[in-house]
Formats: sequence, C-alpha cells, structure tokens
Amino acid sequence: MNHEGQKSPGESGLYNRIAVLRAERGISRQQLAEAMDVNYQTIGFLERGDYSPSLKLALSLGEYFSLPVEAIFSKKPLRPLSEQVYGMGGSKAAPQSEPDMEESE
Amino acid sequence: MNAELVLLGRRIDMAARSRRRWLVVLVYLVLAALMAAGWFLDHWRETGFLLFFATLLINRLFLGGYYFGGLIKPFNGKAPRRTEGISDLQLLLRVYRAEPHESEYRNDEREIDQRGRAHYLAYQGLTLALVGLAGLANFHAYKPSLLAWLPIPADQLIYGLTTALVGLALTLPQAILLWTEPDMEADG
Repeated sequence: MNHEGQKSPGESGLYNRIAVLRAERGISRQQLAEAMDVNYQTIGFLERGDYSPSLKLALSLGEYFSLPVEAIFSKKPLRPLSEQVYGMGGSKAAPQSEPDMEESE
Repeated sequence: MNAELVLLGRRIDMAARSRRRWLVVLVYLVLAALMAAGWFLDHWRETGFLLFFATLLINRLFLGGYYFGGLIKPFNGKAPRRTEGISDLQLLLRVYRAEPHESEYRNDEREIDQRGRAHYLAYQGLTLALVGLAGLANFHAYKPSLLAWLPIPADQLIYGLTTALVGLALTLPQAILLWTEPDMEADG
C-alpha cells in the first residue's frame, strides 16, 4: 500500500483511504476499531479492500473522519489526497480519475 | 476469532494461519485416532457415546464456536454465563478468564459474515454425507443381504459413520474458519 491508498481493490472491489486517513490522524487500528465497534482485524480487512463494509459501518467511518463516504471509498482508484486538495496534478503515477469524489464536491 | 489460545494458564499465539492449520490437522487426527480406538475397544458400543463428549471437550478447549473458550468466538456472540465458581476442569486446565473483554465473545459484522459462509460450506458437505448415509441405511433396511460383503456389519458401519458425522457437524464450521482466516496482523 502506498501513500495514495490501495494499489488493488482487494476482494471487495473497492478502493479506500482508511490507512491514509488513519496515519494522518495518528490513530491505531485498535483505536479506530473501538470507535467503530468492530474487531481490529476488521480494520485491516477494510484497509486491504478484502471486506466490503455495511452501509452503517461506511457511514460511521465517514462520520468519524468527518468526510463523505465517497471520499473514503471508491469503485475507482483514488487520487493522492495532496493532489486532490492542492491541485498539484502533475503526478504521472497517480490514477487519472475519481468521478465519485468530484461529484460530491 | 481470537489470536491467542489460553491453555494451562498460558497464552499461545495462534495469529499465524499455519499454526491454526496445524491445530485443525491435529484435532482431526486425534478424532480419527479416537474413532479407531473406539472400534478396536468395543466397536463403538459405549465408546461412540464418549466420542461425542470428546468432541465437545475439543471445542471447549481449542476450537470454540459453541462455548466461550477456544479460538473461535461463540457463534451466538453472547457473553459467557457468570457462574459463582470455577469448575474443577477449568481449574485443572486453567482455561478460565476472570472478566473477558467484549471483543473476546462478540462478533462484528465481518465475523458474522464469515461465520455464515463457513456454516454454508460445512453444511454443503455434511448434507451430502448425510444423504449418502441415509441411502446406505435405507439400502441396508431394504435388503440387508446386499451389504453382506462389507468387512464389518452394516449397522455398525452406519453407527460409526453417524458418530463421525456428528463429530464433523460439531467441528467443521470452526475448522473452516481457522483454516481460511489469513495471518492476523498485530495492531498498528
């Protein structure tokens, strides 16, 4: 996993930014798991994209990070947050599009 | 699923899938050995009944699922019953925990999902085996002479297979969960 997020969507077919968001806020899997009322292993499954969360859990994550759900999960590869926030769109390595996120803004 | 097995007062790290797979293999080797011993001792007349209790004990100590204890959290997700004292067996094996944390018995949504999938897989195989066993029993009831070629009496074979099937029904969902769960990561 790189800083932008997952390189592959895992078994769930979803890309997500949970690991990046967690690292930014300096919280452990255990802390996030306790806040979400799940096992910490489940956070690992979510981060790797091996588990597709319920709507309730996805909404809880959005609420916890104060972000819309589509900023955390996407069916398409997610762009780096820095590129998205500051518009430094020169990165060749970054995936090209993220329509879900753009629609929400 | 818990990452540690508490036995004889010691916490055994079972986070690695390879360790859990070894445990599953060991459990079925022990059950197969008990089945074989039961056959040689009394053709399962009395030992067949004991095999059932041996399976329950294995669940209690190693696999879990139907009780609080073992690696798999209770399928019903309920807290262990609070009892006044600790049983002699628990004391002997030192498997009791004074006050288990909620995460040790409550399943979250992913674990409930996995539990359902494991039961589905297990009962597909068990149902097929049950159909085969029922066919054998019907065949035996219809024309016993057709099974005369068997090296052991057909009714004993049917009883033995039923006992094995009960043992599998009580352990297979847990074994599938232990076998398929990837290596458990440390918190970080």
